[in-house]
Amino acid sequence: MSKPKLQARLAALSFSEKIKILEKLRDREKAIAASGLRKDKPQPHPPSDTPNKGS
Amino acid sequence: MKATLEAINQMQADGIIGAYAIGGAVGATFYLAPAATVDLDVFATLPGASATGIVSLSPIYEFLTSRGGAVQDEYIVVGGWPVQFLLPGNALEQEAVARAASTDVEGAPTRVMSAEHLVAIALNTGRAKDHSRILQFLEQNAVDRKKLQDVIERHGLSAKWNQFERRFLAGTQ
Repeated sequence: MSKPKLQARLAALSFSEKIKILEKLRDREKAIAASGLRKDKPQPHPPSDTPNKGS
Repeated sequence: MKATLEAINQMQADGIIGAYAIGGAVGATFYLAPAATVDLDVFATLPGASATGIVSLSPIYEFLTSRGGAVQDEYIVVGGWPVQFLLPGNALEQEAVARAASTDVEGAPTRVMSAEHLVAIALNTGRAKDHSRILQFLEQNAVDRKKLQDVIERHGLSAKWNQFERRFLAGTQ
């Protein structure tokens, strides 16, 4: 099914049905966030405690 | 969401808030295909707020926390949904609440802003995600362009609309 057709089909659902989909999407977002799989911001390198010994 | 709306409706019945309407991404979902969002934006009037000139959301927070709601940053979590209560801050938002459409979620009555007001508020707010939402309304033919033009003109948003058209719609119409 093309994207516009799928969008039209989803848009035609009742508000209650759409809210159920929103709740599933929200729960999925929460699960992904809780799993630590997604890092929204790049983590800075921690400052090193050891002096740079060079090569 | 049903439990969330029932709590808000009870708050309205008890006179804590006056008229209210759902806006933001959940409001847009009334007209569009669902898109992920984590919060519910509720624009609510407060009885007596204009008479005193003092506006506080404390009665809302007190009402909902006494019924199990949990405050989390600018949200209060009710029925599993983080809800952000917003006071209509200008004539556009006041009109959006006054003219909201009645609907229900699993039998719980509620009101949602019109597509045209949602687009106009998004235009006025003007963040990237607001522009993205406006484009969704247009792409999905979910907004009445004549009504939208009327709202835009009456609320002094013509310059912003022209800018939006130049930036995002040039060559598409």
